[in-house]
Formats: sequence, C-alpha cells, structure tokens
Amino acid sequence: MTPTNFDAARATYQKIAANISKVMRGQDAATRHLLAALAAGGHVLLEDYPGTGKTTLAKALAKSIDARFKRIQFTPDLLPSDILGVSIFSQRDQEFHFHEGPVFTDILLADEINRASPRTQSALLEAMGEGQVSVEGERRNLSELFFVIATENPVEFRGTYPLPEAQMDRFAMQFTLGYVSAAEEVAILTAQEHNHPIEELKSAATLADVIAMKRAVENIRISPELKRYAVDLVAATRTASGVQLGASPRASIALMKTAQALALFDGVDFVAPEQIQLLAVPVIAHRVVLEPQARFSGLTTRGVVEDILKKLRVPA
Amino acid sequence: MFAALLFWGWQADFLIVGASLGVVLESSRVIRARWDLDDADFNHIWSFCVLLVVALAGYVFTTNEAGGGLNAMLHGNMAARNAVNSAVLTSTRFLRWLPMATFPFIFAQVFNVRSSVPLTAVSLVLRWRRRKGEATLAGHYLDIVYPYFIVCLFSAGIHSNSGTQSYFWGQCVLITWALWSVRARRFGLVTWACTLLAVLGLGFLGQFGINQAQRVIENFNAQWMARFFRQRTDAAQSVTSIGQIGDLKLSPRIVIWLQPENVVKVPTYLREASYRKYAPQRQTWFAGSSANDFEPMSAEADGTSWVLVPGNLSTASINIACYLNGWSREYEAPEGLLPLPTGSRSLGKLPAEILLKKNPTGAVLAAGRGLLIFDAHYRPGASIDSPPNVITNFDSTVNLEEKAALDQVISEMNLSATDPLADKLIGIQRFFAQKFTYSTWQEADKKAPTNSTPLSRFLLTRRTGHCEYFATATVLLLRELGVPARYAVGYAVHETSGTGFIVRERDAHAWCLVWDASAKIWVDFDTTPSSWIAIENRHKSMLEWLSDLKSWLGFEFAKFRWREAHWQQYLLWSLIPVLVVLLYYIIFRHRKKRRDPHAKKWNEIQAVWPGLDSEFYQLEKNLAARGLPRPPGESLADWLQRALAEPALAELRPPLHQLLQLHYRHRFDPPGLSASQREQLKREAKVCLHALARTKPAK
Repeated sequence: MTPTNFDAARATYQKIAANISKVMRGQDAATRHLLAALAAGGHVLLEDYPGTGKTTLAKALAKSIDARFKRIQFTPDLLPSDILGVSIFSQRDQEFHFHEGPVFTDILLADEINRASPRTQSALLEAMGEGQVSVEGERRNLSELFFVIATENPVEFRGTYPLPEAQMDRFAMQFTLGYVSAAEEVAILTAQEHNHPIEELKSAATLADVIAMKRAVENIRISPELKRYAVDLVAATRTASGVQLGASPRASIALMKTAQALALFDGVDFVAPEQIQLLAVPVIAHRVVLEPQARFSGLTTRGVVEDILKKLRVPA
Repeated sequence: MFAALLFWGWQADFLIVGASLGVVLESSRVIRARWDLDDADFNHIWSFCVLLVVALAGYVFTTNEAGGGLNAMLHGNMAARNAVNSAVLTSTRFLRWLPMATFPFIFAQVFNVRSSVPLTAVSLVLRWRRRKGEATLAGHYLDIVYPYFIVCLFSAGIHSNSGTQSYFWGQCVLITWALWSVRARRFGLVTWACTLLAVLGLGFLGQFGINQAQRVIENFNAQWMARFFRQRTDAAQSVTSIGQIGDLKLSPRIVIWLQPENVVKVPTYLREASYRKYAPQRQTWFAGSSANDFEPMSAEADGTSWVLVPGNLSTASINIACYLNGWSREYEAPEGLLPLPTGSRSLGKLPAEILLKKNPTGAVLAAGRGLLIFDAHYRPGASIDSPPNVITNFDSTVNLEEKAALDQVISEMNLSATDPLADKLIGIQRFFAQKFTYSTWQEADKKAPTNSTPLSRFLLTRRTGHCEYFATATVLLLRELGVPARYAVGYAVHETSGTGFIVRERDAHAWCLVWDASAKIWVDFDTTPSSWIAIENRHKSMLEWLSDLKSWLGFEFAKFRWREAHWQQYLLWSLIPVLVVLLYYIIFRHRKKRRDPHAKKWNEIQAVWPGLDSEFYQLEKNLAARGLPRPPGESLADWLQRALAEPALAELRPPLHQLLQLHYRHRFDPPGLSASQREQLKREAKVCLHALARTKPAK
C-alpha cells in the first residue's frame, strides 16, 4: 500500500465527512465515529433520545455515498422474513421466486431496532456477523459494503425490547449523539427554515471509493504492544467488579480495526494509543452486562470502561 | 428493634450501649443514604462478626474474674463448685455481649439497598458449594432483623437478677409487638389475641416449671460433679484409702514446682497438713478440732512476707509454685493449703492480695489466687505446729480397736515404753523395712474375721500396703510406746527437672511427725519402704512427656493469669490491632488477587517492546518535574496538551508535538524509524530539553 492510496482514502473520508456536516451540525465527533466503523467494516448502533438526529445522520451518510440504501422501520409485529426476504410462488411460471428483503443492500438503516421482538432482531445476526444470509437452506451473499446503522431509544422507554447480548456484540460501536449547544440548534432551525438540507445533499463518494478506503484501513499498521493494550482493556472488563458479562474477543477485534480507521483519518499510517483510548468506550461499553445490583447503585458500563482506561497503564 | 435493644440494655446492664445501638438502627428510617453491598461484602462482614465473637469469647474466657475458664480446663481437679461457677459466669458474660458483637452485620443490612442478606454469607457450607459451582441457593436472601431480635431477647434473658419477673413480661410485650405486624389478616383480632394469651400462659407455666426443675437438678448436679474431682487436702480431716480394695491410681500431673535458692539439702517432704485423731471405723484422720479453727495471720510491713515462727534466722530458702484448688466462700477467691517444708519460719514474695491463716496442727491456708509462687525460708527446729496438748491428749490417744494388734507388734519388735526415743524409732524403722513390702494393690480378704480392722490385718497378716497404712500404723505404734505423734499429709520431693524439682500428684505421701520431748520439736519420721517411689514410677507411661507438656502449659498459663494480673486489662486493647490486621486482610485479599495478573503481565512485557530507548522520556521526565506528572492511564498526547498549557511554554508546543509524532513512530510503527530519523529524534529532543531548561517553571 503506497502513501498515495492512503491519501486517496483519507480524501474520501474528508469528502464524506464534509458532506455530512452540511446536515449534521455540531456532530463532528459522532460523524468521525460513524465513518470509522464504516471504514473498519463494522456496524453502528445509535442510542439516543427521540429527535436528536439519529435517522438524519444515517440518511446523510447514505446520501453521501453513491450506494444502495434501504431502511427498515422496526415495529413489534415485524417478522424475520420482512427483513431477509421470502420465496413467493409465481402463478405464471409455476415456480418459487425469492424476493430479496431489505437486507440486500449496501447501507441498511434499522430504525428503532429495539421496537421489534428479539426474534426479529436476531434475523440480522448472520447478516451482520458474516455478510451473508441463509434463507430456505440457501446461502446468499450480501454486498461487499454491507453496513448497518441501527437506531434505538433508551431501553427504559415504553414499547422497547432490550437487544440480546449476541445482537449487541454484532455492533462494532454504539454511541450517542447528544443534544447540541443552543447556538448550534439555532443554526439547525435556520437551515431548515425553508426546506430540509438533506434533500439537497449530493453524493460525495462512490461505492468503489468507500471500498478502497476499507482496503486502506486494513493496511494501517499496529504494533504488538498496542494490540496487547487493546486486549488488556477488553479483558479487564471481564474481571471488573459489578460486571456480570465482560466484553468478547470480538470487541478487541473491533477496537483494533476502528482504531486503524481512525489512524487513517488522522493522517498517520500506524495506530497510536490515543486512537484506542478514544474508541474504547463506544466499542466496548455496550457489550458489557452489569450485575443488577451494580446497575441499581448507579454504575454504568461507560463508567466501568472509563475506570479501566484510567487504571490501566497506557503504552507511551 | 430499638425497643428490643433497649430491653437488652436494661436487662444486661448495658443501658447506654443498648439505647445508642438502637438509635443507630432506627436512624435508618430517617437517613436516606444507603450502601450498595454485594454478596462478597456481606461475606466479609460476617467473617468479621464471627471473628469478633471468637475474640470476645477468648477475652471473656481468659479474663473471667471468678477463677479462669481455661485454667479450669487445663487443670482438672478444681473444686466442683468453682468450675461450675466459672463456667456459668463465662457463658453468661459472653452471651450478654452477643448483640454487641453481631451488631455490624445487622447494621450493614439495615443500611444496605437491599434489606436482606445473602444466605451464602452466613453458611460456610453454602459458600463452599457455591465455590464448587453449585448455584442451588445462590439467589436466596434472608432478612436478619428477626433473628437479631431473637438474639437480643435471648441475650437479655441472661441477666444477673434471676429472681425478678421483669424479663418474662418485658419479653411478652416485645414478642407481641413483633408478632403484631406480621399477624395473618385472615383471623379476627379476638382469635389472634386469645391464641397469643394462650401461648404466653403456657410460656409462663413453662418457665415456672423450668425454675423448679433447675433447683432440683442443681442439687443433684453438685453431687454428681463432685465425684469427678479428687478431694483436695482438707486441714480438718483426711480420709485414707485404708481398707479399700483394688488399685490406687494416681495421676502424673505436675502440681508443684520447686526452685532451690539457698539450700544445702532440698526438703524431702512438703507438708500440707497434719492430723491428731484417728477414727478406725471411717479410716479417717481428724485434726482434732473444728474445721474453722484457723486463725488469721498478718503480713509484715512490706505486705509480701509473712512470719510463721518469730525470731531465729532461717538457713535455707526455696521457691515454691503451687495451685490453690479450693474455693473460699468467705473471700470469693481460690484458696488452698500451702505445701511447706518442715520447719518453715517465714514466707516471702507473696502477692499483696493473698490472705494467710494457720491452724494449730501446722497447716497454712492461703486465699486469693489460683496460683502462688513464693519463697519459703526454713530451718530444722521449731515449727508452727503446736506442742502436744496435755489436756485433750489428742497426740497420745490410741484407739481401743487397734490396741491388741499394736501390742502384739510391739512385743514382736521387743520394744517397751521405757526405751529411749532413738531406739524406738530405729526399731520401728527396721521392723517395717524388714517385714513389710509396699504395694498399692489390696486384695479382698476371704478369711478375715469380721471384727478385725483393716489396720490390724495390715500389721499382723498382710504386711503389705501403701503409705497411709505405714503412716497410720507408725503413729499409733509410737503413741502406744508413749511418744506423741501426728499423721502428716503432703508430698515427697524426689524428681529433678533442670535446676529445680517437680512434684507430681502421684508423689502425694503420708508420713508421721514425732515429738522430740528433749528438743521440743516435731521431727519427720517415715516408715514407708523407700521402694515406694520406684513402685509408683512403674505407673509412668510412655506418653508422660505429653502430660508433662500439658502440665507445663497449664502452669505457664496460670502464671500469666495470676501473676501478671495487670496484663488482663490490656488484653482487650491488644486484641484490637489483631482484629484490624485481620479486617484489612479480609477486605483487601480479593482485590489483590484481581490486580496481580495484570501487574505480572505488564512486568513481563515491558522489557520486550521496541523504542523504549527514546530520548522523549527524558523530556517527559523534565516536563513532569514542573508539577504535572502523567497518571498511568493518560496517553502522551493528552498529557502533552495539558502540560504545555503553561503560557511560558507556548513556543515549545509545535516542536514538541512534532517530536511526539517521531517518538510515536519510533515506538508504535512496526517498521520503526530509519537511521536518519532516529538521529533526528535524538537531536530534536536535545534541542527541546535545552529550550525547556531555559524557561522558568511557573509558580
């Protein structure tokens, strides 16, 4: 991999990020995280209160890339076949034809994913984990850039099902957008005075650009010491007090890959400790399950990971 | 809860403690703050409470005022009353303190988020099973408020004024109150009240009955216990084993330790008491006066030495350590007879609280402590024994029942009342030495005439027996020959141990005292064949060292218990550091376990990573010295941002950030730096160091 390839990949990132920031004001950090997950080949779960711009961010990303985009609005009566697709008997040629579900796309927006039952949520497991689906005994590959952005409301809200741990683990990152500052919010109002800016959004990169970016990320170098640091961070969650279930090795892999992506965005061709530290909370925290007592006493998974970050010696 | 603790405080004389503990518990209703303790924390708190209870038991056990509990245990033959008394006192004090010792546990529950404790905390079996992976009872929780309530009630029941009924009625009120809140709503109030009344009535009858039964059993108990304890030497009477059939068994327990201090010859005998009157029907020697003919003595001005016989300096002294095994009702303290060498003039180094009494037959009764270590100064000659009383003539009386046998033996010895004293003594000594043997075994006599006494059978036909036979026979023979004599009881000293001597229980001996009319003194005279010591030693077992060890431990403990009395007050305080250390260990043990693997990992890898030779570290060190050290979890870039916030370092920012990039490449880029880049890192680090040295640290 030559420096020009890195530069081209970085340029792709910058173009997409600039495009998204036209719509998403004051969410540069979230955009960066989102693109890091995209470049690292992971999926993203956005959890936040209603109206903070989760869906807008997903749509802005989809529009910025010249790629197929589908969205599923998750409802309690949604069925797995509504996601994966179903074979329908054709009267005309007396045969079953497979009708591809929304999962056969490049970018999939799973809106309010925790409003569907766990059974339906689980339909995404294979697709997200392995980039393929098995329907009626037949294996079908998904697109090379299969990227899921799921949004959800906090679990405490009415009419939600908590995501199963296995499903949670399939998401490379989970982060929140949060409320923007008052000045930013005024700017959002001004921008939407006449029409929504997202409607004018043009694509900034092609599918090939994004796939090239993914290739570039794979070639970012990471030293054994930092791999060890990532593993130690993840392993520490398994022994932390108040934790029922620690993070899996899949978390360490995701941490490494997203850190590589972030290093690419930062303009260096090797990973530094800061990138791992920055991503530790969004990558690890959602995979950790707390003991009920610890949760009641106010401990959060974010707190657990931040505590580990503070205590574990960082390579310097 | 408050009421229960208050009730306990009232009954157990801990009113203030009970009230304050109650207030602390009840304050949980007002105070909203709660801890979040998990199962492991409860395990630790429970362990702590158990330790506290054990420590409390140990403390109560060792510092019991009324004769030590442990002492009694190591040291079997305490008088029955004494042992029972101390055991009761120990257990009551321990039980009365129980609510205090278990308080931390209830306190933890009351101020916890969840108002119950895990069942696994209180049971070691469950903890063990959980460790083995069986999750059978993992989720079970227990509300310990009611168990604690019962502990308080139970503890309040152990009160000193057992006569009053206040406990029973107070307990009724409390139980009614406690049951009121949990009563079943299915039944009417009247039904509930009637049932409760019936139960309380039954309870009243029950406790009344138990009171009565206790009185009966207490009487029975004392007799029963007494059978297990050897009769201690009584100054008023000595029941001998004369005429008893079977083997005498004596224990090898060490009872007296001797340390000669200024002695030419160690005394052969240590006398506890002597007796004047023999009752052949009961085989008992009596002192010849009532049991309480002891007259109190007074100590010298220094309070520790006592003069037995005035005037006349003593020539030898010996240090004696002995137990006082009796119990004085008068002083509520241990008491016993002192084993003293014949001719003791004065006693020294006795503890100040000891009280001494003496009786006319030379017994010295001491009271005050369970163990006495003192100096006896002695010299052959005058003793505290009264001379033969010519009025009562106790010292010359011969029993009519024995007279015939005695006369027959005297004629066999060819002695008469007119012979000089020395001839009589030699004659008797020789007679017993030649014709008698020593044995502790007595067979039943099948052909014995019913009217013959055991003593006459010993003298005429059997001619074998133990020291009591010899001593009794000798005393009576001497009296028949017109010499006043007394029967003496005590110990024979013959076994050395290091520089001193030890006396075992089986060395208990009886001999006689002969009145030397010319010198006006009492002289020890022993006719028991000297082989008796060898025969007694046959009983020595292979495991005697074990019993010696036990005796030694008991002695050391008694020394600690009785000599260093002031220690006991500090015992509780000395327990506190131990408890603190244990507590620390319990709390931090598991945390350490968790931390260790990481520490190890970091240690093993630190030496391996490339780029640790970077000059950037010197820079970091110098910068950190300005007052901003880097915590282990902060990355270099973040820290540099913070450290360079100082305005004086503004011009250093760009070069340092560039240097950091170089350093990072050196450390974290697997291909590393090229030779020229490595040089650059070195050079620029040096430049930055100089620049840093020039800027003054901001105050």
